[in-house]
Amino acid sequence: MAVFDSPQEAFGILRPICVQLTKTQTVENVESLQSKLHVVSDSALQDLQEYILFPLRFTLKTPGTKRESLVQSVVECITFVLSTTCIKKEDLLQELFSELCLCLSSPNSQKPAPVSEELKLAVVQGLHTLMHSAYGDIILSLYQPCTLPHLGFAISLLLTLVEQEKSKQIKTSALKCLQVLLLQCDCQDHPKLLDDIETKKLGDLFASFLPGISTTLTRIITGDFKQGHVIIISALKIFYKTIAFIMADEQLARIPKDKEKFSVEHRVAELMVHRDANWVKNTGDKLAALIEKIVEFISVHPHWKARMELIELVQDLLLKCRQSLLKSVGHLLKVLVGLVNDENLDVQNRCNNVLKNFADQRIVVESRVLTDILSENLHSLATALPRLMSSQDDQGKYSTLILLLGYLKLLGPKVNFILHSVAHLHRLSKALIQVLELDVTDVKIVEERRQGPDGLAESSSSLSEPPFHKSKSQRKYFRFFTDERIFLLLRQICQMLGYYGDLYLLVDHFMELYNESVIYRKQAAMILNELIAGASGIEVEVLHETHSRASTEELKEIITSILEEYISQKNWYLVTSNEAEGNREELTMKHSDLQAITSGVHTCHLVPLPSSSELNLTVCSMNSNIWQICIQLEGIGCFAHALGIEFRVLLMSALYPVLEKAGDKTLLISQVATSTMIDICHACAYDCPRDLINHNADYLVNEISLNLHQMALFPHTPIVLEIMFQNSDATLLPLVDDVIQDVLLSLDQFHDERAASFLSVLHTVLAALARWFPEAKGDKQLQEQEFRKEKYGLHQDSATLGKGFAFTTSPEEIERFLLDYLRNKDVADGNVSDSDKEVVPCFPEEQPLTPEAEMNDVCPDVEATLPVQIQIAKNVMERCIHLLSDKDLKTRLKVLDVLELCVTVLQSHENQLLPMVHRAWLPLVHRLTNDDPLAVLRAFKVLCTLGNKCGDFLRNRFSKDILPKLAGSLVTQAPVSARAGPVYSHTLAFKLQLAVLQGLGSLCNKLDLGGGDLNKVADACLIYLSAKQPMKLQEAARSVFLHLMKVDPDLTWFILNELHCPLLYEPPHPSLHPVSLSGMAKSRTEYTDNVLLLLAELQG
Amino acid sequence: MACPPPPPQFVLRGAQSAVNTLHFSCSNKADGPPLLFSGSLSGLVHVWNLQTRRVDATLDGHAGQSVYWVKTLGDQHLLLSQGRDLKLCLWDLAEGRNAPVDSLSLDSVGFCKGSVLSEGTQGSWLLAVPGKGMDEVRVLDMPSKTSVCTLKPAAGAKAGMPMCLELWQPACGPCPLLLVGYEDGSLMLWNVAERRALSRLSCHQEPVMSLGFDPRKAKGLSGSSEKALRVWSLDEQQNLKVCRTQELTNPGIADIAIRPDGKIVATAGWDHRIRLFGWKQLKPLAVLDYHSAAVHCVAFSDAGRPSEQLLASGSKDQRISVWSVYNQP
Repeated sequence: MAVFDSPQEAFGILRPICVQLTKTQTVENVESLQSKLHVVSDSALQDLQEYILFPLRFTLKTPGTKRESLVQSVVECITFVLSTTCIKKEDLLQELFSELCLCLSSPNSQKPAPVSEELKLAVVQGLHTLMHSAYGDIILSLYQPCTLPHLGFAISLLLTLVEQEKSKQIKTSALKCLQVLLLQCDCQDHPKLLDDIETKKLGDLFASFLPGISTTLTRIITGDFKQGHVIIISALKIFYKTIAFIMADEQLARIPKDKEKFSVEHRVAELMVHRDANWVKNTGDKLAALIEKIVEFISVHPHWKARMELIELVQDLLLKCRQSLLKSVGHLLKVLVGLVNDENLDVQNRCNNVLKNFADQRIVVESRVLTDILSENLHSLATALPRLMSSQDDQGKYSTLILLLGYLKLLGPKVNFILHSVAHLHRLSKALIQVLELDVTDVKIVEERRQGPDGLAESSSSLSEPPFHKSKSQRKYFRFFTDERIFLLLRQICQMLGYYGDLYLLVDHFMELYNESVIYRKQAAMILNELIAGASGIEVEVLHETHSRASTEELKEIITSILEEYISQKNWYLVTSNEAEGNREELTMKHSDLQAITSGVHTCHLVPLPSSSELNLTVCSMNSNIWQICIQLEGIGCFAHALGIEFRVLLMSALYPVLEKAGDKTLLISQVATSTMIDICHACAYDCPRDLINHNADYLVNEISLNLHQMALFPHTPIVLEIMFQNSDATLLPLVDDVIQDVLLSLDQFHDERAASFLSVLHTVLAALARWFPEAKGDKQLQEQEFRKEKYGLHQDSATLGKGFAFTTSPEEIERFLLDYLRNKDVADGNVSDSDKEVVPCFPEEQPLTPEAEMNDVCPDVEATLPVQIQIAKNVMERCIHLLSDKDLKTRLKVLDVLELCVTVLQSHENQLLPMVHRAWLPLVHRLTNDDPLAVLRAFKVLCTLGNKCGDFLRNRFSKDILPKLAGSLVTQAPVSARAGPVYSHTLAFKLQLAVLQGLGSLCNKLDLGGGDLNKVADACLIYLSAKQPMKLQEAARSVFLHLMKVDPDLTWFILNELHCPLLYEPPHPSLHPVSLSGMAKSRTEYTDNVLLLLAELQG
Repeated sequence: MACPPPPPQFVLRGAQSAVNTLHFSCSNKADGPPLLFSGSLSGLVHVWNLQTRRVDATLDGHAGQSVYWVKTLGDQHLLLSQGRDLKLCLWDLAEGRNAPVDSLSLDSVGFCKGSVLSEGTQGSWLLAVPGKGMDEVRVLDMPSKTSVCTLKPAAGAKAGMPMCLELWQPACGPCPLLLVGYEDGSLMLWNVAERRALSRLSCHQEPVMSLGFDPRKAKGLSGSSEKALRVWSLDEQQNLKVCRTQELTNPGIADIAIRPDGKIVATAGWDHRIRLFGWKQLKPLAVLDYHSAAVHCVAFSDAGRPSEQLLASGSKDQRISVWSVYNQP
């Protein structure tokens, strides 16, 4: 919108107002001048610059006091003019400079005049604009020795403003102005190209101001946090730019020894500084104090931008003034070291970049001086570390450790200088060991037991536990800190040591500590783990990429030796619970585990521990042992990661111990071991723990088998075996066979002491076999059913007939029924004549035989062709028969369980099964008839299974040996349960009654019991149909009758009707006797309800 | 003995058949991992990698007939196996090959293991195997398969079948010598070049089941189905004479091995046990009880550092146990 382009026109416009202003100096006139200026183009203004400036300068120079508002508007107007024009004359520049400065000077004091803030601001901005409007080299005319006083005045003026003014705006402007004044402006308008000589001259000049500038700025920087980070940042910038300019090594190198002579007056010459070595040293020392102060203050400044600027400071100073500021280098590096792990990501990155930059330029490593300083810092830090770790709070520890980490990162491979000094290594390790001490007072760790099935495959996440697979390691609690970040730092520190340090030296050292005392052991193990993790270079942030790390072979060697130590007898088998190994307590625990498998219930089961102080001590040591094992387990996981697929060879020795711990009773240990297995899977490229175990079963079996030969030394072997079986499949059968031989051998040898643990192994084995070979079961059952259908078709006929009887009765049907009945009765009595043969086929000939059965029939000597699993089951069953009458109840219970599984596995091979059952029968009868109720209960379960598998075989034996006793006990117990209260249902007697009633029905069905036996059963169960009996027993009794209906509906109908008959039966013909049943016409009794229910079932 | 003998260092499973013979090949580390070869009743030769403790390869070349002798020739790659199918196979196992490269038909149906003497010149070697005649031993030049001689005891000797052979090159003489243990319990020393018997010694009542000979000490020992081990020596006139008898608790020695360093001797017993003796005095050192069936063979690893010396035994129970015993220098 410049209207007046030509100077002439502009002059025409401006002249009157300039004249006016010269005459009367008022604010209004200044303002009208300024408003006119707006319509003049820049080029015209440039031409008229001096003309316009004249009245304004005149106004300022007029002696006498002036109104502040006038001065202010004049200054603003000058600023405006300068902002669009440039100054081409040196003297004009100098004059304007001093005139502007004078506006703020008070005649008598050093302080700026007490004028309004607006004026101050205007002047500062004016100065700023002035500096920018100087054309080309003109500006340098301000920086002559002769102008030194002016310059000094301006600088001190600005510094004072920054320091003392309240207004943020003034402060910032003053700082900006100062920056320009010191020729460190970062805007683009300046001709940068100062040549070396000019630079040197300027440096000499500014050196005079250095003390003032640096101290004042330091005061400002380390002032109140509240003054805002913007001011601090600009102050910092000026600080380091100035210093970097004056103290630049490059410049100082070229300073001549002797002071130059300047043609200036003496007073000024005195002000001049000669930057000789002496001066540099003194200044450097003084600056060091200031820098230290700043560094300390700003490195913890809450605003990240301030910290960021600090990094710039360090970078600039380190790049330019390494030599001159030798004393500060340590402090400066400390900043980087500390900020490398800053909580702000940008700061961290920037710091990393700077560090990398240094590393790349080999500034740290190559330059001896810096390395020396760093090592010295690290030395002193290492020396102080134990003290700091014990005295500082979490925050203090955090920053100390951050420093330590930073030094390690920065020193890189040179860290070995420290490590090779025995004293320092000792200090360092002492500090680490001390701070890593775990808190082992938590009783819960000891108490929490593993429950339920081993959840290797299924990730068992109970409520109290976060899913632990996700987190890298189990949360640990430390005695001397609670902040998780500190632990993270410590791990990083150890990793860094492992990465850069001499691994052999470190491992040796910490291994020594590990072996030295149980107090150090856990910490040393933790450190060793991290050292290895670091040495592998996985997930380690590094600054120095290229250096000779331990090769995989070396690493493997080291890991092998640590592993050996970890899993050695004395470090691996530690007391972690009060339960003595192999005692009966363990067995019950085991047992509840097994029940949990079947019920799928995860319950938390705490073993109460007496909390006397003496016991507490042992709780602590047990807790400590648990942690040690966990740490070592984690270590194995670490090693696996470090070696990757190479770790597979080490599985030979490592897998067994890990598996052993996966089966540990202590919850924490088993969890950690499980996650270790998962780690191993990841590292060695196995899909899942099952895969891992399957692929390495040979290693496991080797170890297991060897250990079984020395049971006394390795009481945990059965656990491993158990876990192996739980996690493997039928492909392992040959190996299983091999190891079973060992188990049986050891069982035969140690059946007194170790029967319990072996039995649980056998249980697992057979459960696994039953799981692996289920197909045999299906075949057999199908065959069985067919067979039954053929054989007992008669009964079913009669059953349908019986049903028909109630509704439609043709004489022919009755006749046929009677004939059948008679023939059937004959058969039952054993009077089978030849003519009956086709009616009762002994074997279904049309039924195609399975090849297996055929083979069994053909060759009596089937030993050689037996499948492995059958052979195993047979062998195991043999042992069970012997152990069935063991004097210990729990063993007997266990044996019964195993026996049941044996029967299940053997069911497809009747020729093997029946002889074994025959042999097992007698002891089993003893269990059923005169043993503890618990055993009876279990034995009855076995009996039911047996009934399922070999009914015919058992029929006579059952009715002879067992039924009378069973029925008798039911009858005698009935009045007890009828009278009992609600608590009764929790007693063993009730459970026994219930189990017998529940099982009896199907047993009768499977065994196909005859009339007399059925009567016995029915008699015993009838009383339980009473409404006085507990509900559950009634239900169970009803189920017995439901089964009886299937076996013999007529008999059942009759028995029920004898008890209660709801209907009257009219004879179809008067010649027949009237039907009389004892239950007829009875009023309602306690049995009525159940009988009616059952009859309805029978009819329907 | 102060402490009980150690358990095996490890046990190799998976032969799935009785193990008849074992042979170590550990010397050239550069060529590959240390190996153990085993021959089994089912006719397979298993190559066990002792580093991973797993089967590296399975060689099937004897038509399912029992393999009762395996031996490497010179380097790891050439393997000899002798089976009941009357064949002696030569395998080249380099680069993972697993097919026989050559085979030699045998005439004897006995259990007599062969014996090999490498001469070192152009890869030729001498092989002694039982011959066609009942009591004959054939010596062949391999790999050309040219017969060097057939050694047959004098007509009236009634030595019976050869049961075990040991071919060796004496330090003093140029011609190879052959020791043969016969069915009648006698030992004969043959000069292969001159085709004549140098000496004969009756040392057992029962057939000689196995023998071991240490050329450096000119001393050997033999076992039979009796309850005794017999140690004998060879004097300068090349006469065999008994120097010692070691009584055993249980009869039957299936195999004998002398450790390459000449310090200990191991025997494979029918009583499931391995017995260790000091070779110098035949002092009983240890009884290693691990197997659950007769031990068929024992072997010592061929070289390496003393601490890496291994003993392996194969048994009818289908396992191979590997032991690290008496090897602290």
